[in-house]
Amino acid sequence: MRLFLSGLRKLVRRQATWVTFGLLAGLLVLIVVAVGATANRPGASSAERAATLSLVTFPGAYDVILSFILGLGGLFAVIYGAAVAGSEWTFGTLKNAVARGESRSRYTLLSFASIAVVIAVGLVAAFAIGLVAALVGATLAGVSTSGLTDAATLSRLPQQFARGWLAIIEEGALGFAIATLARSQLAGIGAGIGLYFGETFAGIFLPDIVKYLPFNVATASVATGTATGGGFGGGARIASVDANTAIVLVGLWLIGALVVAALFTERAEISG
Amino acid sequence: MTGMDGLALATRGLRKSYGSQVALAGLDLSVPKGTVYGFLGPNGAGKTTTMRLLTGLIHPDSGSIELLGRPFGRRDRHRLFGVGALIESPAFYPFLSGRQNLRELAATGAPTAPGRIEELLDLTGLRDRAGDKVSTYSLGMKQRLGIAAALLSDPALLLLDEPANGLDPAGMVAMRETLRHLAANGKTVFVSSHLLGEMQQMADIVGIIAAGRLVREGPIQQLLNSEGTVRVRVAPDEVARATATLRTLGGQEGVMSTVAEPDWISVRVTSDRVGEVNRTLAEAGIWATGLESGNDLEMLFLGLTGGEPVQGGEGTFFGMAGAGPGRGPAGTGSGA
Repeated sequence: MRLFLSGLRKLVRRQATWVTFGLLAGLLVLIVVAVGATANRPGASSAERAATLSLVTFPGAYDVILSFILGLGGLFAVIYGAAVAGSEWTFGTLKNAVARGESRSRYTLLSFASIAVVIAVGLVAAFAIGLVAALVGATLAGVSTSGLTDAATLSRLPQQFARGWLAIIEEGALGFAIATLARSQLAGIGAGIGLYFGETFAGIFLPDIVKYLPFNVATASVATGTATGGGFGGGARIASVDANTAIVLVGLWLIGALVVAALFTERAEISG
Repeated sequence: MTGMDGLALATRGLRKSYGSQVALAGLDLSVPKGTVYGFLGPNGAGKTTTMRLLTGLIHPDSGSIELLGRPFGRRDRHRLFGVGALIESPAFYPFLSGRQNLRELAATGAPTAPGRIEELLDLTGLRDRAGDKVSTYSLGMKQRLGIAAALLSDPALLLLDEPANGLDPAGMVAMRETLRHLAANGKTVFVSSHLLGEMQQMADIVGIIAAGRLVREGPIQQLLNSEGTVRVRVAPDEVARATATLRTLGGQEGVMSTVAEPDWISVRVTSDRVGEVNRTLAEAGIWATGLESGNDLEMLFLGLTGGEPVQGGEGTFFGMAGAGPGRGPAGTGSGA
């Protein structure tokens, strides 16, 4: 427990945590408020206006916010996971823990557990901020917010959050595993981003294979048939598996990534 | 391993290679409990590899390690609960303060007593800066923090790799006193260093490693007494004849001169034989213009390791004609 709590304390004090969250929340606020403020601009056709206003009209706005967070959040999670895992090698702090007799795999897995908790908190916080921004956007656009309390949408949210969280931590775990294999923060981040976009491009040529790959299944696992999923990056522009199959595959990729990270750390020769 | 009673640390036949590069070629160390053990060797001799093996960061190809009287293998990480270590340069999270770094490190491995962190911050003189981020620390401060980190769990065995790096003179004195104090209280301190003078003042026992093997080990005074050197200065045109004459005392390999001081000849004999060296020269009709009985650790170290640094290592200047003060043997060897 003390190792897990230590991991949380380190993440809270880490600049990368706040920069990642700030970027995600900042972009979300900027886009949603800008949409609200410009929805009624002169010269827009009624069709354009309706499409724009749908982004800040509840209950649909819930899906828009979640879609944004899960889409861009996936990319950020890869980077964040890689940054945290890679820094243990780059700073040399893993060496300190191992030399004190700490279990390598326990250290690795509990480090990731603390990342998963921080991602959960970040997901909820970003959603709350997005909600406030959408309310501001709706007010600026003169749209009613009566759909805010739509019971059907609200009842669906917990499950969407749970799926979204699992999808994002799976993407974070991939970044974490890649940086562990690379033993480097920068190399891990670079390789993680490359894999993220590489998978999207590969989907153009090999859609039947790519639909089972980690970023695509993450996106597919949160697809609800509405706006949620795939709106802001990471696959889903190709044929995808159904959401329930996807969530199973997400779990497998997550476990696989963590097993690879733990096994590699367990067997690695640590120097530097 | 047998016959290891009274040893805090022992290795037998320890071998480690990195690809085709042999780092350790059968290292046998015996470190008695309650001593300060100075682990000496030129760059590339295998000191840091040994430290990494002793802390489980890497694993030996063959051979065995015993820590605090019990075997230490791949699955024996709990043995390290009684060990504190500072390996290579101190490593910390730069975005955390010194105090926070110690706190997070204390969450790993063996439990740390309450109040221990503040105690160590006092001991290492870091209390005033303990709240500052480590990224603002000087090298010396990071080194102090590294020593504090090594002492976190009040270990019975302390492994320190070049702990004096970056310390100012006052810091070095304080470190020496701290380590001596720990040994006096029954702790064992295994410390590698290039600072031979520092080792001479601090260590009870030294082990000298060269090319991955232990070439000498024992109580420092005993080694110095048995393996001293006498240096003699003669006129430049007498060097060759004096060298040949002195080989009757020091043997073929035990007489040498250096590029930097070509008129000084070193004879590897115990320092109490200085008069005998002088008489041997006089009987050959050669008059010494200077005599020194050298029995310091530096001469012993250079004699045992051959003064042959690894290419690019810090001792490289020994091999460069005309460079450095050069007490060590150079390319001319004994053929001056």
